[in-house]
Amino acid sequence: MMKKVLLALPVALAIGVAAHAQPAKDPVLVLEALIGKVDSAYLTQSEQNLMMMADNPALWTMEDGKALFHTPRGPNNVSLESCDFGKGPGVLAGAYTELPRFFADTGRVMDLESRLVHCMMTLQGFPADDPAVRVRDGSNSDHMKLQTYIAAQSSGMPWNPPMKHPLEKAMRDAGEYIFYRRSGTMDFNCATCHTQTGKRVRASVLPNSSIPEEWTKAVSWPAFRVGHDHVRSSQHRVRECYWQMRHAVPIGGSDATIALISYWTDLARGQPAILPDMKR
Amino acid sequence: MMTLNKTRFAAGLAAITLMLLVTACAGPESGKADASGKVDYTKMSAKELGEYLIFESNSFRLDMPTQEGTTARERMMQDDLQMLCSQTRNQPSPEQAGRIIAEARASMKYPEGGIQLGDWQRGGNLAWGGFGFRLADQSDDHSRRAADGACYNCHALSPQRTGGSLGPSLTGYGKSRGDSEATRRFIYEMIYNPHAYFPCTNMPRMGYKGVLNEQAIADIMAYLLHPDSPVNK
Repeated sequence: MMKKVLLALPVALAIGVAAHAQPAKDPVLVLEALIGKVDSAYLTQSEQNLMMMADNPALWTMEDGKALFHTPRGPNNVSLESCDFGKGPGVLAGAYTELPRFFADTGRVMDLESRLVHCMMTLQGFPADDPAVRVRDGSNSDHMKLQTYIAAQSSGMPWNPPMKHPLEKAMRDAGEYIFYRRSGTMDFNCATCHTQTGKRVRASVLPNSSIPEEWTKAVSWPAFRVGHDHVRSSQHRVRECYWQMRHAVPIGGSDATIALISYWTDLARGQPAILPDMKR
Repeated sequence: MMTLNKTRFAAGLAAITLMLLVTACAGPESGKADASGKVDYTKMSAKELGEYLIFESNSFRLDMPTQEGTTARERMMQDDLQMLCSQTRNQPSPEQAGRIIAEARASMKYPEGGIQLGDWQRGGNLAWGGFGFRLADQSDDHSRRAADGACYNCHALSPQRTGGSLGPSLTGYGKSRGDSEATRRFIYEMIYNPHAYFPCTNMPRMGYKGVLNEQAIADIMAYLLHPDSPVNK
């Protein structure tokens, strides 16, 4: 209890001071509006998480990310303010909800993590093996701090990954193919767990990929995973699902992972993003 | 990929990308095969690209050794059943379903001494364990601990703990079904290869794929059927 009070204090301070980072829209309100719209056991499964979400530890991760984002860093000593996440250099509002997208400068469809890696390496000059680039997991990693800050600038905005470039469509369609592709010792695919409503794996209610109002929460990463005590990313979710399916280990930022993220984001199209989210 | 040389700016960036690729031995973020123009994703069908991404794009650690003595590459390769159920999204036509059932029937291997019940306590541990066959830097080590059935992920079992609901509840199974020869046979076959009853079911082929051996199946069956098992209390 004491811990909770102590944890809540800096958030109260953060929200009280205008200069501090804030999600574009309060993720609690976004989630509550969705709960009011659909009857979903997935959205409402953890009353405790709903109560704790105002004090989501991911909000400090976001705060740290803001400082990191605007600080000149790396061998080139520049900030990430000139990084183009798809809506122009430095434009973060609504950028994340329009990822993955095609970037002409790399010729690739990129998700948030791979785009961030690109800017860290090309703009800031970090080598690939620098911890800033290499460490992708954990609330204390630069990646989770930056991703949480960048993503939160799209909270409440509708998912709208562009499908104008032929590569965007190709990646989305390949992602759908992979989503339904069964293999391995257990014959699993993503659909095994994500095409029914209100079903549970152990005690956890699973999100149904065909219900966008429910699915938007499923794809709202970064999110604080209560069971992990860490903020986690989309890439981490992909990797963990593959681990549980007993499939091969995906490589972070690889095209197969981005194809899957393209497909799953497209399935949530039009629904508001909850950023940062809080999950079991 | 094919728009790279549209502008001098983009071409410059592509050169930087290639330099990074050479000097830093960078990961997939650097563009690799597609930046060189060798592969055009947009010319492929979803299936072709999906297969390419899995096996050819450096998206998975395919060389990682598996517990069954193969590599992760084999884990990602599909057998006929996996292919058919993927294509039809688990809705095979009546004709396909008939073929799946016949092939599943033909795949069954039974214990030599008949289908016996093992130790329900050991079966309970196997049913409630989620260990085994996962691939990671520290993969599940079967020399230290036998692979579990992971049954609880999808099935309600004993009422004391919460099991999943992707599969049907098995609480009170033995109490309601009894322990006849026919029941034993049905459960054994459902665990060994459930496609004999439910073509393109989500349930894994625990016996056929070698996840559970004969003893483990016997123990889990005892956990489901034995009157002393918490499943039937």
